[in-house]
Amino acid sequence: MIILALAITVGMLFATGTYLILRRGQIKLLLGLGLLSHGVNLLLFGAGRLTKGSPPIIMSGHGEQVKRLTQAAAENLADPLPQALILTAIVISFGITAFVIVLVHRRHELTRTDVLQGEMATLLHHIDPFYHPADPQGERTMRQRQHQVWLLAQALEEDVDDIDVMEYLIQNNWRFDEQEEDDRGGPLPGPGGTP
Amino acid sequence: MSADPNLLAVPILLPLVTASLILVIARWGGRRRIGLQRGMASLSVLLNLGVALFLLQTTLAGQRLVLQMGQWPAPFGITVYADALSALMLTLTGVVAAAVLPFAMATIDYHRERMGFYPLFLVLLMGVNGAFLAGDLFNLYVFFEVLLMASFVLLTLGGRLRQTSGGIRYVVLNLLASTVFLAGAGITYGTLGTLNMAHIAQRMDSAPQGVQLLLAGLLLVAFGSKAALFPLFFWLPSSYHTPPPAVTALFGGLLTKVGVYALFRTFPLFFPGLLQDWQPFLLAVAGLSMLVGALGALAQPTIRRILSFHIVNHVGFMLMGLAVATSGNRLVVGFGLGAAILYLMHHMIVKTALLMAGGAAELDSGSGRLDRIGGLASRRPLLAGLYFLAAISLAGIPPFSGFISKLGLLQSVLDGGHWLIAGVTVLVSVLTLINVMRIWQEGFWGPYSQPRRIPRKLLTAPQERWLVLAPIGLLLALSLAIGLYGEPAFQLSLRTATQVLDRESYIQAVHPLSMDQVSEPLVPQEGLD
Repeated sequence: MIILALAITVGMLFATGTYLILRRGQIKLLLGLGLLSHGVNLLLFGAGRLTKGSPPIIMSGHGEQVKRLTQAAAENLADPLPQALILTAIVISFGITAFVIVLVHRRHELTRTDVLQGEMATLLHHIDPFYHPADPQGERTMRQRQHQVWLLAQALEEDVDDIDVMEYLIQNNWRFDEQEEDDRGGPLPGPGGTP
Repeated sequence: MSADPNLLAVPILLPLVTASLILVIARWGGRRRIGLQRGMASLSVLLNLGVALFLLQTTLAGQRLVLQMGQWPAPFGITVYADALSALMLTLTGVVAAAVLPFAMATIDYHRERMGFYPLFLVLLMGVNGAFLAGDLFNLYVFFEVLLMASFVLLTLGGRLRQTSGGIRYVVLNLLASTVFLAGAGITYGTLGTLNMAHIAQRMDSAPQGVQLLLAGLLLVAFGSKAALFPLFFWLPSSYHTPPPAVTALFGGLLTKVGVYALFRTFPLFFPGLLQDWQPFLLAVAGLSMLVGALGALAQPTIRRILSFHIVNHVGFMLMGLAVATSGNRLVVGFGLGAAILYLMHHMIVKTALLMAGGAAELDSGSGRLDRIGGLASRRPLLAGLYFLAAISLAGIPPFSGFISKLGLLQSVLDGGHWLIAGVTVLVSVLTLINVMRIWQEGFWGPYSQPRRIPRKLLTAPQERWLVLAPIGLLLALSLAIGLYGEPAFQLSLRTATQVLDRESYIQAVHPLSMDQVSEPLVPQEGLD
């Protein structure tokens, strides 16, 4: 009965985790990874003998009482190994989750979006190449546009790029000001690596 | 000649201790001491290579080294195990690390070097070494995680947009693979009651068919995803080109090969029968990996993207060797696996050299895009020469190691009568040649084009120049040696393969407890103190 409940829980954790990972949001991705690792930990838990109220460790020593206890425990001995395995797995997944959170945070800092898809698509969706700073009707603020252009420049740098589009965009949209600070508190990032 | 089994702890502990020491001295008194960091890392890597060579010599003589941690007998304690395959992989890892380290010293930028590149490098080395030495499934998982963690940080160190987006794909897909692996380990323990590999091998034969299939499937998905096999390779081409070239060369040389090693280790040991039954399926996966790797690389625009996409294709070759490991009519037993191991040696050496040469070319031109660079051959003739030799070695042109290893693989599949996959192998070899020659033609030949960014003075400063060129040259010399001394090299890999396929000796070596004593349920003994 307990085993069945455990199996259903593990299955649900796996299913939910997989579903969340397949979504597009970064936060959902994080949650999905967490649920998956919980699922595996429970699976390990169920892999050992599930016993109630019996110790995993047999007392050492001499005497009749210890011997009797030992023999009684041997019939219904709890398995200590899965617990050790789960402990190790929890530590590892803790460390990795912390790293993934930092990574996702960094990516959010750079792209200002939670959506996971091709970066180029995101950027091209956000950038209007015919925008001009003098245009007062622009929906986004100047700073947002500067940021998007910087992103594009960085994504394009040496890799997928069309250097002329980049230069055009930078000429038209980019006004780099060393002293200006963006809302992160640091200086506005430069046009990544281009001279 | 015999070796002390305690030596097996050295490849794991040495990089770990050195990494910790470097972290300490790098913080001492607020100074980074880059020179000292470099010196200690080099010393550690060279010592590691020396120990690995000694282990290789010992294990090739037939000795299997087993270290039971803390004297706990086999199924209860942690087993560290080395046979010829482990020692060979340790040696190759040592070679790759020793080659990439000087290259990294010349090419890694100051900030990454300051922020702990060398400790991460050494921790990665420790994870890889540990995975090759692990004698039980759970420790294999732990060392996989160690090397993954180090590789995550190496991949994203610097925090550029390209790195973070490539990094997320890499991290998530590798974590999924680890989850599947851990689930496989848990189910193994639940059904067979053990995690020790020799013990699993003992009990697997009497396990029900369904359990065997389930475990084999889980392990194949987990290791296949680490090795970047056909449907599970997507993390590789989207991340390997994003870090600095030295990191790409290190990853390209080492990481996927850990997955391949795990397949080579577990499948012949746990599922020798399934290896036969699944042969058509494994051959199909191998063939698709080869085709997708080669065709995908054709569509890539930059040097390192082409070269890293190509890794998928080579992993396909190795899986093909595993698939025909036990079959064959005329040839000796293990011929296919021997050829695959030789290919693995060739691949680790040549791929690292090629990725370093390509990375140096990218750094020197300020860009990796083939349509924007050109004329490197006249500007940097020595680098161009080294790239060319590495390229033809990868494609399998005779004097180098690529020829003999591909010949061995072709012979083994033809011997089993698998004409289709043999045809795919030949086709893919031609595509490989086209790919590497595309880089040659567009990057090294052609009119000289002014780089858009000011390149690093990498190949002009005399000191850095040799830090870049000498490792590539040495790796190529090794490849040439394997190619020229084809017979001894093939004997070496055949001997390794026969050791891998010899399950009984593995079980005997690891398992000092007698069979009936172990297969009984564990009951505490009378009068336990």
